[in-house]
Amino acid sequence: MLRVLIAEDETIIRMDLRQLLEKNGMTVCAEARNGLEAVALARECEPDVAVMDLRMPELDGIEAARRMYAERPLPIVMLTAFADRSNVENAIEAGVFSYLVKPFRESDVVPAIHAAVARHRELLDARRTVGRQPLGAVVVSVPSSNGGVWPVSLERRDDGSLDVKGIDAL
Amino acid sequence: MRVLIAEDETLIRLDLRQLLERAGFDVCAEARTGAEAVELARSEQPDVALLDVKMPELDGIEAARRILEHTPLPIVIVSAYTERTLVSRAAEAGAFGYLAKPFREDDLLPAIATARARFDELAETRAEVESLTEALAARKAIERAKGILMEREGLSEDDAFKRLRRASQVSGRPMRVIAEALIETLT
Repeated sequence: MLRVLIAEDETIIRMDLRQLLEKNGMTVCAEARNGLEAVALARECEPDVAVMDLRMPELDGIEAARRMYAERPLPIVMLTAFADRSNVENAIEAGVFSYLVKPFRESDVVPAIHAAVARHRELLDARRTVGRQPLGAVVVSVPSSNGGVWPVSLERRDDGSLDVKGIDAL
Repeated sequence: MRVLIAEDETLIRLDLRQLLERAGFDVCAEARTGAEAVELARSEQPDVALLDVKMPELDGIEAARRILEHTPLPIVIVSAYTERTLVSRAAEAGAFGYLAKPFREDDLLPAIATARARFDELAETRAEVESLTEALAARKAIERAKGILMEREGLSEDDAFKRLRRASQVSGRPMRVIAEALIETLT
């Protein structure tokens, strides 16, 4: 059963969301009324997915999404009354998987959550595979005639991504 | 951004095209069946595909699955039906979004933009996985080929490596290919 965090400052919409999600077989594990609460509650209850309003007091949904994602990656569905390009772009840049414009229907929210969860799982799997590669073992210690390492060397760049130098680079 | 649309009802298809063009997208292909969608995805290489579910020949979800087998691209399912089984099938098939009909112009841009962005992220991570897997496979093959050469030809490790490298340089093929061919021939 999917565990969902809801972040929405308007009580009526929050209650509506909870009902809608529970009716569709999900568990609402936390309800936040502002962005700061959302970040704190996400840390506490480790939801499978977050459904967040964009405009909230204290901390807006996009900044909250960014912080939540940095602490623990999870699929985030953004709900908002604003469909303008800059908001969409900011949300994308914060890692948001789906962006729905209010007023929303049950038939908008539920499919968006399922698609986001499935695709985010794929993304995490791929990231884990990258992280799982035994880095030390990839660098061969036998000296080649030009004194380099052979046949591949893997290095972490400063930003944490991997730099792969293939055989052709030697 | 070049969009493929698949929708069997002509009026809705025209409507969708207009809506997309107004939102600044370029509709590069229109399919009327799932089979056509699969074909057009291959020939047109769109940046994103919007697929209706209920279409003749092949439904949109099955079309999505087949498209993703040969042409990875972000797919948004468009449907008047949002039953749980359909939604789960779409999620399993690899769809990045699911737009319920009727939808508004405002729903389109975010659905397409998020699908494209998250797809790119996934594709990039997968490419990294592939390059690592490839690098590991290359290393294993070369180690093994080197071992075979050392044993059969009585070469030192360094000489075995040099021989493989020379073969690679002369033939203009990657060392992995040489190593695999050598393993194939000598074992």
